[in-house]
Amino acid sequence: MPIYLDHNAGAPVRAEAAAAVSRLLADMGGNPSSVHRSGQRSRRMLEVARAQVAAIVGAEPRQIVFTSGGTESNNLAIFGAITAASRRRKIISSQIEHSSILAPIAELERRGFDTVRVAPDSDGRVDPGRVLAVLDSETALVTLGLANSEVGTIQDLAPLASMCGEAGALLHIDAAQAVGRIPVDVAALGCDLLALSGHKLGAHSGIGALYVRDFARLAPIVFGGPHESGMRAGTPNLLGAVSFGAAAEAAMDAMALESVRIGSLAASLLARIREAIPGLRLNGPIVGRLPNTLNLTFPGVLGESMLIALDLEGIEVSMGSACAAGAVEPSHVLRAMGRSVADARSSLRISLGWNNTAQEIEAVAALIPEVWRRVATAEPLSEASAR
Amino acid sequence: MRRRVLVAMSGGVDSSVAAAMVREQGYDVVGVAMRLAPEPSAPIAKRRGTCCSHDDFEDARRVAERMDFPFYVIDLRADFAARVVDNFVSEYLGGCTPNPCVMCNREIKFDRLWSRARALAADYVATGHYARIEQGTDGRFHLLRAADDAKDQSYFLFTLGQDELARTIFPLGAMTKTEVRARARALGLATADKPESQEICFVPDGDYASFVERQSKPAQLRPGSVVDSDGRRLAAHSGVHRFTIGQRRGLGVASGERLYVREIRAESGEVVAGRREELDSPGLIANRISLVDNSIASGRELSVEVKIRYRHRAIPATMRVDSGRRAEIRFASGGPAVTPGQACVFYRGEEVLGGGFIERAITEEQAN
Repeated sequence: MPIYLDHNAGAPVRAEAAAAVSRLLADMGGNPSSVHRSGQRSRRMLEVARAQVAAIVGAEPRQIVFTSGGTESNNLAIFGAITAASRRRKIISSQIEHSSILAPIAELERRGFDTVRVAPDSDGRVDPGRVLAVLDSETALVTLGLANSEVGTIQDLAPLASMCGEAGALLHIDAAQAVGRIPVDVAALGCDLLALSGHKLGAHSGIGALYVRDFARLAPIVFGGPHESGMRAGTPNLLGAVSFGAAAEAAMDAMALESVRIGSLAASLLARIREAIPGLRLNGPIVGRLPNTLNLTFPGVLGESMLIALDLEGIEVSMGSACAAGAVEPSHVLRAMGRSVADARSSLRISLGWNNTAQEIEAVAALIPEVWRRVATAEPLSEASAR
Repeated sequence: MRRRVLVAMSGGVDSSVAAAMVREQGYDVVGVAMRLAPEPSAPIAKRRGTCCSHDDFEDARRVAERMDFPFYVIDLRADFAARVVDNFVSEYLGGCTPNPCVMCNREIKFDRLWSRARALAADYVATGHYARIEQGTDGRFHLLRAADDAKDQSYFLFTLGQDELARTIFPLGAMTKTEVRARARALGLATADKPESQEICFVPDGDYASFVERQSKPAQLRPGSVVDSDGRRLAAHSGVHRFTIGQRRGLGVASGERLYVREIRAESGEVVAGRREELDSPGLIANRISLVDNSIASGRELSVEVKIRYRHRAIPATMRVDSGRRAEIRFASGGPAVTPGQACVFYRGEEVLGGGFIERAITEEQAN
């Protein structure tokens, strides 16, 4: 069995989610919007799931809109907010966001909107002061990630809520990587919108949610039936929602213990590799990071080569923005943090999760330095590779 | 423990069958497709989000899935640009006619890819080339022509030495193309009936001159005159990169007799045109000589057959390699047109002895 250390790309399905889904599979039928009793039963299950998802971010169930995933949630937040705030033409974000934020912003830019992408510091922190400096009465939306998917940096976004409120702008937080790993509370954050992803916390992929504080300030982007408070048309994905609800509940129950356990596994892994690999660099801050995420620059090797070599040894990690067809562009997050192209190409993301064991981490801590030595000897970085 | 083989897969039928064959032979197979082209070719570039939708890689991936071995696409664009494409462009700008496939084999498949193979703990590299490797009773390795003469690719492989041959597998060397296709169909490979690929993958439209112009600064181009053998100006041209030895079209000369490019003088920008019989030369000088087996002593005159363009027949010649890894080759009789930049490969019967890159033709005066 491979050792899976790519939880930030997608966590293995939790047993609770799998069980909930198989119960539902045996007893399928009924559109939650239908009047008959099959429909009512489906609706009840959907609402239980909604309450479970709401609970993990401290929201009211009615404030949760199910979507097809984190990407759709971010798209709904951005295009929905821009449409609702018809007069305002400015949107503020950062350079280190997920593609499901950056691509919608690029699209808005193409349509003539005023867009600002704030630079982070060298640890991947976005200074709220920099956001404040560009925030004005033209701003419709500020959208930032709570925890960065590539390096794990956690942003201090609480100061932004009042600033946005005063400027009349909406605050959208992409919390896909944070929910289920660290406590997330919409009231404490004071945000207007918050995106969640199911499969990052152990649900099946294909389900996500958007927390919406005030429906009057968001417009739908998918039109059809009056599902999800009129904010997301289409027959709800009941299987996905049930999986998401069960996984969210399990993640929340386990979080306190799990985050400590995973954090100490990650810390011991880092200590062991660091000892064996001179010049190894941890990207991101020492404190204020997701406990499960290690983004490491391995000296003198191509990350792509390490990634494949590790996979052949049964260790599954990733490069931040890897692409299955091999056009691996250097991570935009590491570049924005000031790392060179060469360093970005030498970096790998190791992200732990709920199912990793101490034995696995022990094995990985021994294998990674061995693989690094082999790759560094066999395939030292050439001039060309760093271009 | 099973020996690991890294198989270079293009998504074409040859490398697909090569991979399937080493898999059937019981090796621990790892398939890799190399992303080489600096820019996607035009039809793909028009699609959105090209990077994850390359059809050829998907074909290779399907073969790997069917034959149940791991498969990866690796990004060698920077190496390919620096070591193959830049060379291709500068050779053309210098009045030579390069052979990028030879360069790609030397620099990418049997150097860069080999480093990757070692990094991935592979013992061998396998490719879909049509050529054979045999080990003699003395332990030395021999590089031989393919069984299928029409597909023989040994010309592109002369840079391989003993170290490389010891760790290389050419599963298709003893097969004909027809057999390879039949094998692919029998294995149920999706690539069985794919058409042959073009010879120069990064210039899919075949317009080398335009490619060189796109890759160069205007100041690097060498425009000048087309002249006859006596130096009389016949026409103007926009750059020596537009010509190759033996070329007849595009000279811009209205002449009663057929004229061919005889010589390209990059320094002066002169392209010398002449009659067909003026093209021939008695021999050539080649540089960057590489021998499959270095025990062929330098300085000694050897009787060989030389092939000076991929599609040419090998012709009898004598060769002498000096210590500077240069060689002088003299054709046994009536030599063909010699094209600087092309590979010159030495054969003895079925066997490849080595080769080099053509520096220049020897003229009649020098021969006397």
